[in-house]
Amino acid sequence: MKKNLPWLLWLWISAVIVGAFYYAPLAAKFIGKSSRILYFHVPMAWVSFTAFIAAAVWSVLYLMKGRQERHDRAAAVAIQLGLLFGVLAIVTGSLWARIEWRMWWNWDPRQTSLLISLLFYAAYLALRGAVDDPEKRGRLAAAYALLGIVVTPFLFWVMPRITFSLHPQPVVNADGKVEMDPRIFQVLLASTFAFTALFFWMHNLQCRLQALVARKTDEQE
Amino acid sequence: MSPLASTWAAEVAAVFAKEWRCELRTKVALNTLGLFAVTTLVVASVSLGPLGVSKAQGSALLPVLLWLILLFSVAAGLPRAFVQEEESQTATALRLSATPSALFCGKLLYSLTLVVALEALITPIYVTIMNLQVARPGLLVTALAAGGYGLAAGSTLVAAIIAQARSKGTLFSVLSFPILLPLLILVIELTRNAVLGDPAGMALAQLLLYDASVSIFGLMLFPVVWNP
Repeated sequence: MKKNLPWLLWLWISAVIVGAFYYAPLAAKFIGKSSRILYFHVPMAWVSFTAFIAAAVWSVLYLMKGRQERHDRAAAVAIQLGLLFGVLAIVTGSLWARIEWRMWWNWDPRQTSLLISLLFYAAYLALRGAVDDPEKRGRLAAAYALLGIVVTPFLFWVMPRITFSLHPQPVVNADGKVEMDPRIFQVLLASTFAFTALFFWMHNLQCRLQALVARKTDEQE
Repeated sequence: MSPLASTWAAEVAAVFAKEWRCELRTKVALNTLGLFAVTTLVVASVSLGPLGVSKAQGSALLPVLLWLILLFSVAAGLPRAFVQEEESQTATALRLSATPSALFCGKLLYSLTLVVALEALITPIYVTIMNLQVARPGLLVTALAAGGYGLAAGSTLVAAIIAQARSKGTLFSVLSFPILLPLLILVIELTRNAVLGDPAGMALAQLLLYDASVSIFGLMLFPVVWNP
């Protein structure tokens, strides 16, 4: 069963792509077909933040459960993937903004919050690159990741006061209601699930690969 | 005061006194911070030209410049608090003689006094040469106090982290700016309110919450960073 999971994921993502272009209707009040990018942009941004939280959880585990290297590796890989999905979310968001707002970038609170999160991810990776000893690298990086997770919520309070947002309502709006065509919501939900599964699959692969490389390096030394 | 608390307070005071004694021997941080801040201030002022900016533009722009000068000066001077312990190989002795929480608080107090001294030096010069009219000076002092504390608290843990890594100088800016950015946005908003005479609003409460969060988590995470 476990062997077939990647194939299942491949099928699921293929269905999401077909659904995004042929099943879901065009969203109202969006220019042309620009709403179709929603099915890829929203899940990418979601995965980027999920990766951030997952990295914080693995950092706590690293510090609490006897500083096992696998927890440190898991946190680092989550941040690497968070950075990748974050960049993709910014690029897809900018493509959409060019069509909808006639500007690639307009310092929208969500754009800015995501950009600062990316700066944080990059700083985390720069820190890891500047420490050679694995134990020291693990604890310093874990402490920095946890400090980041404490500070980030302030961005979400502060940003909306600085610039007004043109960004469409979140999937679930402020009143806790989902106000969109059910087919759009279905594809969006399926896509979010697919991207989350893709993240954990890539995470698993990368962690295993890095564990193999680490073992090989140890053997050679 | 219980004996335990008095020992802890004595440790904090000892670390604080040791920091200032070391600093006054060399005056590296004082000179770096002060000179860097004054130079940046002059560069900012000269770049704006002899006429400066109009009053309307000034209330929007000048609080930003003030806090950028303070932020970059802090980045130039504060990392030394821990870097010098690693360079002079006194970190192990310090680990043996003070508990991590007392050490963190002692270093934080030292950084705070440095930042307050920097603000006391820079702000009057800045207000004068930029011809900045502040409608609510009391609120400006509050912003400087809460913002200065946040800069010191946010930098202390990052300084302890980078002291153990390579390329310390550039790494401090890379690591601390994403952490200090929410603080910077809040404190600029507060300074702008002080200049325009507007009420403090939510910015002050959120700034105090930021200060408290960074202090508490800094204190919690410091033993992890400090103890091998």
